[in-house]
Order: sequence, then structure tokens, then C-alpha cells
Amino acid sequence: MTRATVIGAAMIPMGKYPKSSYAGLGAPAAMNAILSSGIDPATIDSVVCGHAFGGMLTAQRITKEIGLGAVPMLNVDNACSGGATAIHLAASRIQSGQSDAVLVIGVDKLTQFGGGTLPLVAEDPEVQNGMVMPALYAMRAKRFLHERDETVDILAAVSVKARKHGAQNPFAQFQSEVTAEAVLASRPIADPLTLFQCCPTGDGAAALVIVSEHRRKALGARGMAVAASVLHSGKATTGFRHMLRPEITYHSAADAYEAAGIGADDLDMVELHDAFTIAELVYYEALGLCPEGDSADFLRSGATGYGGQVVVNPSGGLIAKGHPVGASGVAQAVEAFWHLTGQAGVRQIEAAQTAMTHVTGGGIAGMDHGACTIHIFEAVQ
Amino acid sequence: MPIDTDTQAMAGQACTADHLPISDLDIENRKDFQTQDGQVVLVGSRSASSGTMAFPQKEFCPETGARDMEQITFGPQGTLYSFSTIHISATRETPYTIGYVDFENGLRVLAHVRSQGTLTCDQPVILQADDSAWWVSPVGDVA
Repeated sequence: MTRATVIGAAMIPMGKYPKSSYAGLGAPAAMNAILSSGIDPATIDSVVCGHAFGGMLTAQRITKEIGLGAVPMLNVDNACSGGATAIHLAASRIQSGQSDAVLVIGVDKLTQFGGGTLPLVAEDPEVQNGMVMPALYAMRAKRFLHERDETVDILAAVSVKARKHGAQNPFAQFQSEVTAEAVLASRPIADPLTLFQCCPTGDGAAALVIVSEHRRKALGARGMAVAASVLHSGKATTGFRHMLRPEITYHSAADAYEAAGIGADDLDMVELHDAFTIAELVYYEALGLCPEGDSADFLRSGATGYGGQVVVNPSGGLIAKGHPVGASGVAQAVEAFWHLTGQAGVRQIEAAQTAMTHVTGGGIAGMDHGACTIHIFEAVQ
Repeated sequence: MPIDTDTQAMAGQACTADHLPISDLDIENRKDFQTQDGQVVLVGSRSASSGTMAFPQKEFCPETGARDMEQITFGPQGTLYSFSTIHISATRETPYTIGYVDFENGLRVLAHVRSQGTLTCDQPVILQADDSAWWVSPVGDVA
């Protein structure tokens, strides 16, 4: 099995672009990723595109703008895991020898819905009964505060850190810091979550070029190797579910560490799925970054900021960078690429060698989440 | 924030105009046609490096991805390759007729066709326009 290595990466700054089509969002990211890799576009032998709301032939609509065609193109939806699932498929194609060089695109345009919560599938009985994504996370938060004897201050601290990191990222939708007071004073969305505790509505696109070891050596390219690429689906239950122990992320993380042959202590950075503040606290534990029950103290200690044990969401995460759902998994990998190749500028994590990216994908009754994707990347010189 | 800030050629810090999305849905501000010396022409673009042309105007060369598209105009003469009259629509007044028109520079454009009589494949057509829209008509209809 050959090694798959990311040798090029790019994204557009996330924001609200109602005058851009999916092609208008995706083409600059795809072209800049190709340019950053140094690869001849004519040698890209397949394209995988992750999205949730792009409609038919999203990959083809984007790549026809930059002269790619004829080769196999796969379009994949997995809600918020769509982009990361595209990376998973691309890595599989390379590792199995089916492909030598794959362009991966993650893209979504949420401004097409005008605002409000993410439109979930109306066929779902809980959605019919009023379920929206902030409500699910809000119930998780309520349970967290109840069980851990914490206050909303710990939730606000997640946003403060996210926005502090995002303020250093020119590709983030929010590039300004906020205070805990401002977070808690922002308008209520789903009690106890306030507006600044939720990822914003926005549009975005990100892209990667992933190649085989043979091709990487021929190009003399540095980059980051895919050390683990794990995709899990949720398993529905009709009974009790512990909302602070999202089993899909626990299981995915265990598989990812085993595949990479490393532990949580070896990670220099993590980009995790902080769609809402509570998620970051829950995922510290699910990803094994801290012992179960310790996430609040772990955040308060500064362990997940710069200079701490592991920098979590150096990009600003979904809360500050933005969360155009199908784009996020690829955008996380772009951030990891910049750090592992020493190109992250003022937000560079010193001597970063190993990164984890983590996205879920929710919105189905009876499941913690429908999908979860975890990647571990290692720097390759 | 951490460590040194030597940011030269730092991809993660450099967000330039080339990183921004393309406003390709800004149709109100997109100029597709104009009148030149009393004749209607279409406004497209051409890559300075590859010569590849496109209509409507594009940001990237659709063959090479080069970002060097320059504005061109073409028409008014073309050839109707094929056409159809459409009798059902949820959004448009029916019936209406559209067809593919091949221009001398090699571009093929989907056009509305307005005709007094019977249309045939390979018929010469000419660009027409009013203040807000453009279409083609058989050369014989216009003359």
C-alpha cells in the first residue's frame, strides 16, 4: 500500500458570497491548490468533491472552469463530514493504487438559504418535531453544566479562544476577538447557547492535491502524509444516549490513533468540530486530549491555546473561521498543511509535525451524529 | 501570538485578490452584449496565453486555468446548428424557441431565436437586441 501525501492546499477566505456560484467559490481554491503543489494539472487523474448542498455534478461544475475533465469525478455528501469524506476517498484511491494524483474539493454555500439554522432533512421525525442543530448541542450543553457543576462561563471561554485564534487568520470569517461578556450578551439562539457560541452562516471552498509516494518523490514535494483516515457512521438507538460521550467520535479516534501508531500526546495541533462551544469541551475528552471529566479545567489551564499541550483550532475553528458544512473537513486539512509545512505565518505552531482533523455530521434522530471523519497527518520533508 | 513573524511567502497568511471567490452570479453587472457600429455583438473573453475563448466572460481560461482572460466581442453573424420550441415551463412564458448558434470564431452559444417563418438547421442568423436582451433571428427576417 503506497502512502498518500498532501502536497498542495488552498482555500478562499470564508464569508458571505451570495453573488458567487459553487464554481465561483470552488475554482479559485482548486486552482490555487494545484499551483501550490507544483503539479501539472494534466496529470491529475481523479477529482473528489465533498458538499452537502451543491446539487448535481458539483465537482464537474467547478473543475470545468479550470480545464479539468475526462477523468473520474466523485461527488460525495456526508453532511458536515462531506469534505473530510472526500479526503478519505482520495486517500483510499491512492493507497489502493487506483490513482496517482487526486484533486480534493470541499465546498458549500449556506447563504443560498438566506439565514437561520441549517436546513435538515424534513423526512426525519425529530426534525418534524422541531429539532435543529443548535438545539441538539444546547441540550448537550445543558447536560454538561448540570453534570459538571459548571456555569456558562466555560462555554464563553471556548468562543473567546476561537475568536482569538481567528483574529490571526486572514481566511477566517470572523477576524476579531470577543470578550466573554460579549459572548454571553449576544442574542439567545438555543438556551444556553448564544449567537457568538454558534458557527456562522457562510460560504467557502477549500482544496487539496494528494499524490502517491512515487509521484511525490518525482516532484520532490514536501507536504503531509495521511497517517490515518477514518470514517465512521452513527448507530441509531431508541433508548438512553449519554450526550457527553459521543461514541462515534470515541470510536473513530481510537481507530485513528491505532492506524497512525501514535497517541493523543503526540499531536501538535487539532482542528476539531466546534460547531457550537459545547462541542469543543466534549471532544477534548472524546479525542483523548484530556481525561474524561477534565475538559473544563483543561481549557481553563490554557492547554489548548498557543504554548499549551496541544493547540486546538489554531484557525479559529468553525466558530471563528466559519462552517460552510461540506467545505469544513477540507479547510481543516488546509490549516494543518500550512502548519506542518511551516507556512502558517503569524499563527504558526512551532515545529508542528503531527496534526489531527475531526468533523462530524449530524441531524438524524436516534444518532449522536450520522457521520464522523478523523484524519491524522504527519509532516513529510 | 507565537514565535517569529517572518511571513514571506507564507501561504497561510497571504490572502490576496487571487484567493477571493468569483462573483459569477452578479448577472446584473455582467455585460453579455453591446451595439457596435449599429450591429449587435456578444461580449466574451479570450485567454492571452492559450487563445481559448469563452462566452459569457470568464475569470479562468477554461482549458488551462490561466487567469489571463481578456475581453473580446464577436458576431453579429452566426449559423443555427439546431433548435427547439418549448411548450411547457413553470417559470417562462411559452412557447419560446432556443437554439445553438455557431460563430465564426468557433464559439457556440445558446440563444433565444425569434423568427417570422420556418427555421432550419444550418440557417444563417444574426444577433439582435433591445435595451435589456439579445437574441438571434434568421438573416432573411431582418433584411
